[in-house]
Amino acid sequence: MTEASLSLLGAKVVVATSSDENHPPENIIDGNTNTFWMSTGMFPQEFIIRLPEPTMVSAVTVDSYNVKHLKIEKKMSQNASQFEFATQKEFQNTEGHLQSNAISLNGSSATDLRFIITTGHDHFVSVHRVTVQN
Amino acid sequence: MVKLRARCLLLGDPAVGKSALSHIFHSDGTLFQKNYSMTTGVELLMKCVNIPETNDSVELYIIDSAGKETLVETCEKMWGEPSLLCLVFDLTSEHSFANCSRWMERVRVHCHGLHVPGVLVGNKSDLSTRREVQASMAQEWAQSQGLEYHETSAKEMENCDAPFLSLARIFHSLYHECRETIQSLSPG
Ligand SMILES: Nc1nc2c(ncn2[C@@H]2O[C@H](COP(=O)(O)OP(=O)(O)OP(=O)(O)O)[C@@H](O)[C@H]2O)c(=O)[nH]1
Ligand SMILES: [Mg+2]
Repeated sequence: MTEASLSLLGAKVVVATSSDENHPPENIIDGNTNTFWMSTGMFPQEFIIRLPEPTMVSAVTVDSYNVKHLKIEKKMSQNASQFEFATQKEFQNTEGHLQSNAISLNGSSATDLRFIITTGHDHFVSVHRVTVQN
Repeated sequence: MVKLRARCLLLGDPAVGKSALSHIFHSDGTLFQKNYSMTTGVELLMKCVNIPETNDSVELYIIDSAGKETLVETCEKMWGEPSLLCLVFDLTSEHSFANCSRWMERVRVHCHGLHVPGVLVGNKSDLSTRREVQASMAQEWAQSQGLEYHETSAKEMENCDAPFLSLARIFHSLYHECRETIQSLSPG
Protein backbone atom coordinates (compact mmCIF):
# COMPACT_ATOMS: atom_id res chain seq x y z
CA MET A 1 0.00 0.00 0.00
CA THR A 2 2.98 2.28 0.29
CA GLU A 3 3.58 2.36 -3.44
CA ALA A 4 0.27 3.45 -4.96
CA SER A 5 -1.85 6.36 -3.81
CA LEU A 6 -4.70 5.54 -1.47
CA SER A 7 -7.29 6.62 -3.99
CA LEU A 8 -5.98 4.20 -6.63
CA LEU A 9 -6.41 1.49 -4.04
CA GLY A 10 -10.06 2.37 -3.60
CA ALA A 11 -9.85 4.48 -0.47
CA LYS A 12 -12.13 7.51 -0.13
CA VAL A 13 -12.33 10.61 1.99
CA VAL A 14 -15.87 10.30 3.29
CA VAL A 15 -16.07 13.35 5.55
CA ALA A 16 -14.19 16.61 5.72
CA THR A 17 -15.18 19.63 7.77
CA SER A 18 -13.89 22.32 5.43
CA SER A 19 -14.01 22.87 1.76
CA ASP A 20 -12.47 25.17 -0.72
CA GLU A 21 -13.64 24.08 -4.18
CA ASN A 22 -10.11 24.43 -5.46
CA HIS A 23 -8.63 22.30 -2.70
CA PRO A 24 -11.01 19.37 -2.15
CA PRO A 25 -10.40 16.58 0.39
CA GLU A 26 -9.64 14.07 -2.41
CA ASN A 27 -6.29 15.82 -2.68
CA ILE A 28 -5.29 14.16 0.59
CA ILE A 29 -5.24 10.70 -0.93
CA ASP A 30 -4.09 11.33 -4.50
CA GLY A 31 -0.49 10.59 -3.50
CA ASN A 32 0.69 14.00 -4.70
CA THR A 33 2.12 16.52 -2.23
CA ASN A 34 1.58 19.39 -4.67
CA THR A 35 -2.16 19.13 -4.23
CA PHE A 36 -3.78 19.69 -0.85
CA TRP A 37 -6.93 20.04 1.19
CA MET A 38 -7.12 23.23 3.15
CA SER A 39 -9.10 24.06 6.26
CA THR A 40 -11.23 27.18 6.06
CA GLY A 41 -11.23 28.40 9.64
CA MET A 42 -11.70 27.35 13.27
CA PHE A 43 -10.71 24.19 15.07
CA PRO A 44 -11.14 21.28 15.38
CA GLN A 45 -11.01 20.16 11.75
CA GLU A 46 -11.37 16.60 10.65
CA PHE A 47 -11.46 14.20 7.75
CA ILE A 48 -12.18 10.49 7.55
CA ILE A 49 -10.44 8.10 5.18
CA ARG A 50 -12.36 4.93 4.38
CA LEU A 51 -10.30 1.97 3.25
CA PRO A 52 -11.91 -0.48 0.81
CA GLU A 53 -11.56 -3.34 3.30
CA PRO A 54 -10.32 -3.96 6.85
CA THR A 55 -6.58 -3.44 6.69
CA MET A 56 -3.76 -3.95 9.13
CA VAL A 57 -2.26 -0.50 9.55
CA SER A 58 1.15 -0.27 11.14
CA ALA A 59 1.70 3.41 10.49
CA VAL A 60 0.46 6.44 8.60
CA THR A 61 2.51 9.24 7.13
CA VAL A 62 1.02 12.72 7.06
CA ASP A 63 2.37 15.55 4.92
CA SER A 64 0.85 18.80 6.10
CA TYR A 65 1.35 22.45 6.94
CA ASN A 66 0.51 24.45 10.09
CA VAL A 67 -0.88 21.43 11.93
CA LYS A 68 -0.08 21.61 15.64
CA HIS A 69 -1.92 18.69 17.17
CA LEU A 70 -3.38 15.66 15.43
CA LYS A 71 -5.51 12.93 16.95
CA ILE A 72 -6.24 9.73 15.06
CA GLU A 73 -9.24 7.52 15.72
CA LYS A 74 -10.16 4.29 13.94
CA LYS A 75 -13.05 1.97 13.26
CA MET A 76 -12.29 -1.73 13.18
CA SER A 77 -15.06 -2.51 10.69
CA GLN A 78 -17.69 -0.74 8.65
CA ASN A 79 -20.43 -1.75 11.10
CA ALA A 80 -18.60 -0.70 14.24
CA SER A 81 -20.75 2.02 15.73
CA GLN A 82 -18.03 4.16 17.20
CA PHE A 83 -14.56 5.37 16.59
CA GLU A 84 -11.85 4.35 19.02
CA PHE A 85 -8.91 6.46 20.00
CA ALA A 86 -5.77 5.29 18.19
CA THR A 87 -3.03 7.82 18.82
CA GLN A 88 -2.15 11.50 18.91
CA LYS A 89 0.84 13.65 18.07
CA GLU A 90 2.17 17.20 18.32
CA PHE A 91 3.60 18.52 15.05
CA GLN A 92 6.49 20.96 14.94
CA ASN A 93 6.00 24.20 13.11
CA THR A 94 7.92 24.25 9.82
CA GLU A 95 8.48 27.32 7.76
CA GLY A 96 8.86 27.21 4.02
CA HIS A 97 8.42 23.46 3.72
CA LEU A 98 5.90 20.77 4.56
CA GLN A 99 5.58 18.92 7.82
CA SER A 100 6.14 15.23 7.30
CA ASN A 101 5.26 12.96 10.20
CA ALA A 102 5.22 9.18 10.45
CA ILE A 103 2.81 8.01 13.09
CA SER A 104 2.82 4.47 14.42
CA LEU A 105 -0.53 2.70 14.79
CA ASN A 106 0.68 -0.62 16.20
CA GLY A 107 -0.56 -2.76 13.35
CA SER A 108 -4.19 -2.68 14.30
CA SER A 109 -6.92 -3.49 11.83
CA ALA A 110 -9.08 -0.62 10.57
CA THR A 111 -11.55 0.35 7.86
CA ASP A 112 -12.04 3.99 8.75
CA LEU A 113 -9.35 6.35 9.93
CA ARG A 114 -10.46 9.63 11.41
CA PHE A 115 -7.95 12.48 11.53
CA ILE A 116 -8.82 15.25 13.95
CA ILE A 117 -6.73 18.40 13.85
CA THR A 118 -7.39 19.97 17.23
CA THR A 119 -5.11 23.00 16.90
CA GLY A 120 -2.92 24.71 14.34
CA HIS A 121 0.17 26.89 14.18
CA ASP A 122 -1.98 29.29 12.15
CA HIS A 123 -5.71 29.85 11.55
CA PHE A 124 -5.58 27.59 8.51
CA VAL A 125 -3.93 24.23 7.97
CA SER A 126 -3.40 22.08 4.91
CA VAL A 127 -3.01 18.34 4.42
CA HIS A 128 -1.14 17.34 1.28
CA ARG A 129 -0.83 13.59 1.52
CA VAL A 130 -1.71 10.73 3.80
CA THR A 131 -0.20 7.31 3.14
CA VAL A 132 -0.87 4.09 4.98
CA GLN A 133 1.76 1.45 5.75
CA ASN A 134 0.80 -2.11 6.54
CA MET B 1 -15.95 29.54 -4.08
CA VAL B 2 -14.80 29.30 -0.49
CA LYS B 3 -16.81 29.39 2.68
CA LEU B 4 -14.69 30.48 5.61
CA ARG B 5 -15.57 30.22 9.29
CA ALA B 6 -14.36 32.53 11.99
CA ARG B 7 -14.88 32.64 15.71
CA CYS B 8 -15.30 36.28 16.62
CA LEU B 9 -14.99 37.29 20.27
CA LEU B 10 -17.06 40.31 21.24
CA LEU B 11 -15.65 41.87 24.39
CA GLY B 12 -15.67 45.02 26.47
CA ASP B 13 -16.95 46.52 29.71
CA PRO B 14 -20.56 46.11 30.89
CA ALA B 15 -23.24 48.18 29.15
CA VAL B 16 -21.00 49.54 26.39
CA GLY B 17 -23.39 48.12 23.79
CA LYS B 18 -21.91 44.79 22.70
CA SER B 19 -25.24 43.00 22.60
CA ALA B 20 -26.92 45.97 20.96
CA LEU B 21 -24.30 46.02 18.18
CA SER B 22 -24.35 42.30 17.56
CA HIS B 23 -28.16 42.17 17.46
CA ILE B 24 -28.35 45.01 14.98
CA PHE B 25 -25.76 43.38 12.78
CA HIS B 26 -27.47 40.01 13.09
CA SER B 27 -30.99 41.33 12.46
CA ASP B 28 -29.95 43.57 9.55
CA GLY B 29 -30.71 46.71 11.49
CA THR B 30 -34.16 45.97 12.82
CA LEU B 31 -33.51 45.33 16.46
CA PHE B 32 -32.39 47.90 19.00
CA GLN B 33 -33.22 47.29 22.60
CA LYS B 34 -33.49 50.48 24.60
CA ASN B 35 -33.72 48.80 27.98
CA TYR B 36 -30.53 47.33 29.29
CA SER B 37 -30.62 43.61 29.74
CA MET B 38 -27.28 42.41 31.03
CA THR B 39 -25.67 39.42 29.34
CA THR B 40 -24.87 36.91 32.06
CA GLY B 41 -23.06 34.25 30.04
CA VAL B 42 -22.07 34.07 26.41
CA GLU B 43 -24.48 34.41 23.54
CA LEU B 44 -23.65 32.93 20.17
CA LEU B 45 -24.83 34.63 16.98
CA MET B 46 -23.99 33.48 13.50
CA LYS B 47 -24.10 35.55 10.37
CA CYS B 48 -22.77 34.85 6.93
CA VAL B 49 -21.02 37.74 5.22
CA ASN B 50 -20.41 37.81 1.48
CA ILE B 51 -17.08 39.22 0.46
CA PRO B 52 -17.60 41.84 -2.25
CA GLU B 53 -16.32 41.08 -5.73
CA THR B 54 -15.79 37.39 -4.95
CA ASN B 55 -17.92 34.27 -4.61
CA ASP B 56 -16.47 33.76 -1.16
CA SER B 57 -18.18 34.19 2.17
CA VAL B 58 -17.28 34.21 5.84
CA GLU B 59 -19.50 32.73 8.51
CA LEU B 60 -18.97 34.83 11.59
CA TYR B 61 -19.65 33.00 14.84
CA ILE B 62 -19.99 35.95 17.16
CA ILE B 63 -19.44 35.20 20.81
CA ASP B 64 -21.07 37.97 22.81
CA SER B 65 -19.52 37.62 26.26
CA ALA B 66 -20.70 39.26 29.49
CA GLY B 67 -18.81 42.39 30.45
CA LYS B 68 -19.46 42.19 34.16
CA GLU B 69 -16.23 41.50 36.01
CA THR B 70 -17.54 38.71 38.24
CA LEU B 71 -18.90 36.80 35.23
CA VAL B 72 -15.83 37.00 33.03
CA GLU B 73 -14.01 34.03 34.46
CA THR B 74 -16.88 31.65 33.73
CA CYS B 75 -17.38 33.12 30.28
CA GLU B 76 -13.71 32.77 29.40
CA LYS B 77 -14.10 29.00 29.46
CA MET B 78 -16.43 29.32 26.48
CA TRP B 79 -14.27 31.64 24.41
CA GLY B 80 -12.28 28.84 22.80
CA GLU B 81 -9.56 29.84 20.37
CA PRO B 82 -10.68 33.07 18.72
CA SER B 83 -10.11 33.82 15.04
CA LEU B 84 -11.10 37.48 15.35
CA LEU B 85 -11.62 40.09 18.05
CA CYS B 86 -14.16 42.88 18.35
CA LEU B 87 -13.39 45.04 21.37
CA VAL B 88 -16.04 47.61 22.30
CA PHE B 89 -15.99 50.63 24.60
CA ASP B 90 -18.47 53.40 25.33
CA LEU B 91 -17.44 56.80 23.92
CA THR B 92 -19.09 58.46 26.93
CA SER B 93 -17.02 56.45 29.41
CA GLU B 94 -13.31 57.07 29.75
CA HIS B 95 -13.24 54.15 32.15
CA SER B 96 -14.52 51.66 29.57
CA PHE B 97 -11.81 52.85 27.17
CA ALA B 98 -9.05 52.55 29.78
CA ASN B 99 -10.16 48.98 30.49
CA CYS B 100 -9.59 47.93 26.89
CA SER B 101 -5.98 47.07 27.61
CA ARG B 102 -7.09 44.65 30.31
CA TRP B 103 -9.39 42.98 27.80
CA MET B 104 -6.50 42.68 25.36
CA GLU B 105 -4.42 40.92 28.00
CA ARG B 106 -7.21 38.50 28.72
CA VAL B 107 -7.64 37.66 25.05
CA ARG B 108 -3.95 37.11 24.50
CA VAL B 109 -3.98 34.13 26.86
CA HIS B 110 -6.50 32.42 24.60
CA CYS B 111 -4.67 33.03 21.34
CA HIS B 112 -1.76 30.63 21.98
CA GLY B 113 0.65 32.83 20.09
CA LEU B 114 -1.61 33.06 17.04
CA HIS B 115 -2.08 36.49 15.52
CA VAL B 116 -5.75 37.36 16.01
CA PRO B 117 -6.87 40.33 13.90
CA GLY B 118 -9.23 42.71 15.59
CA VAL B 119 -11.18 45.93 15.61
CA LEU B 120 -11.73 48.51 18.34
CA VAL B 121 -15.23 49.97 18.42
CA GLY B 122 -16.21 53.22 20.12
CA ASN B 123 -19.98 52.94 20.52
CA LYS B 124 -22.74 55.44 21.44
CA SER B 125 -21.51 58.14 19.06
CA ASP B 126 -25.05 59.59 19.20
CA LEU B 127 -24.40 60.90 22.73
CA SER B 128 -22.03 63.53 21.39
CA THR B 129 -22.45 66.00 24.26
CA ARG B 130 -21.37 63.36 26.76
CA ARG B 131 -18.35 62.16 24.83
CA GLU B 132 -15.31 61.50 27.03
CA VAL B 133 -13.01 59.77 24.54
CA GLN B 134 -11.70 61.65 21.52
CA ALA B 135 -11.46 59.81 18.24
CA SER B 136 -7.79 60.67 17.87
CA MET B 137 -6.92 59.08 21.21
CA ALA B 138 -8.85 55.92 20.48
CA GLN B 139 -7.38 55.73 17.01
CA GLU B 140 -3.86 56.05 18.37
CA TRP B 141 -4.32 53.32 20.96
CA ALA B 142 -6.00 51.05 18.42
CA GLN B 143 -3.06 51.45 16.10
CA SER B 144 -0.59 50.61 18.85
CA GLN B 145 -2.48 47.35 19.37
CA GLY B 146 -2.78 46.54 15.68
CA LEU B 147 -6.54 47.09 15.72
CA GLU B 148 -8.68 48.90 13.19
CA TYR B 149 -10.81 51.68 14.73
CA HIS B 150 -14.54 52.25 14.14
CA GLU B 151 -17.15 54.49 15.74
CA THR B 152 -20.76 53.35 15.88
CA SER B 153 -24.16 54.20 17.25
CA ALA B 154 -26.31 51.18 17.88
CA LYS B 155 -29.13 53.48 18.83
CA GLU B 156 -29.10 55.38 15.53
CA MET B 157 -28.02 52.22 13.71
CA GLU B 158 -25.07 54.06 12.36
CA ASN B 159 -22.05 52.24 11.02
CA CYS B 160 -22.89 49.09 13.03
CA ASP B 161 -22.08 46.65 10.24
CA ALA B 162 -18.74 48.21 9.43
CA PRO B 163 -16.64 46.60 12.19
CA PHE B 164 -17.99 43.12 11.42
CA LEU B 165 -17.66 43.47 7.65
CA SER B 166 -14.15 44.69 8.11
CA LEU B 167 -13.29 41.68 10.28
CA ALA B 168 -14.73 39.34 7.67
CA ARG B 169 -12.64 40.99 4.96
CA ILE B 170 -9.48 40.78 7.05
CA PHE B 171 -10.07 37.08 7.69
CA HIS B 172 -10.70 36.50 4.01
CA SER B 173 -7.43 38.11 3.03
CA LEU B 174 -5.58 36.12 5.70
CA TYR B 175 -6.93 32.96 4.10
CA HIS B 176 -5.70 33.96 0.68
CA GLU B 177 -2.28 34.89 1.97
CA CYS B 178 -2.02 31.58 3.77
CA ARG B 179 -3.12 29.69 0.68
CA GLU B 180 -0.50 31.41 -1.41
CA THR B 181 2.19 30.54 1.11
CA ILE B 182 1.09 26.91 1.07
CA GLN B 183 1.05 26.81 -2.72
CA SER B 184 4.66 27.89 -2.80
CA LEU B 185 5.93 25.34 -0.27
CA SER B 186 8.54 22.75 -1.02
CA PRO B 187 8.08 19.12 0.09
CA GLY B 188 9.06 18.21 3.67
N1 LIG C 1 -27.47 56.07 23.37
C1 LIG C 1 -27.04 54.86 23.08
N2 LIG C 1 -27.32 53.82 23.87
C2 LIG C 1 -26.86 52.59 23.54
C3 LIG C 1 -26.12 52.38 22.36
N3 LIG C 1 -25.81 51.07 22.28
C4 LIG C 1 -26.34 50.49 23.37
N4 LIG C 1 -26.98 51.39 24.12
C5 LIG C 1 -27.67 51.13 25.38
O1 LIG C 1 -26.72 50.77 26.36
C6 LIG C 1 -27.23 49.78 27.22
C7 LIG C 1 -26.33 48.58 27.27
O2 LIG C 1 -26.30 47.93 26.01
P1 LIG C 1 -25.93 46.39 25.87
O3 LIG C 1 -25.83 46.11 24.43
O4 LIG C 1 -26.85 45.56 26.66
O5 LIG C 1 -24.49 46.37 26.57
P2 LIG C 1 -23.47 45.15 26.70
O6 LIG C 1 -22.14 45.67 26.31
O7 LIG C 1 -23.97 43.98 25.97
O8 LIG C 1 -23.47 44.89 28.28
P3 LIG C 1 -23.18 43.51 29.07
O9 LIG C 1 -24.06 42.46 28.47
O10 LIG C 1 -23.50 43.79 30.50
O11 LIG C 1 -21.73 43.19 28.91
C8 LIG C 1 -28.65 49.45 26.73
O12 LIG C 1 -29.58 50.18 27.49
C9 LIG C 1 -28.64 49.97 25.30
O13 LIG C 1 -29.91 50.38 24.88
C10 LIG C 1 -25.85 53.52 21.52
O14 LIG C 1 -25.21 53.43 20.48
N5 LIG C 1 -26.33 54.73 21.93
MG1 LIG D 1 -24.54 42.10 26.53
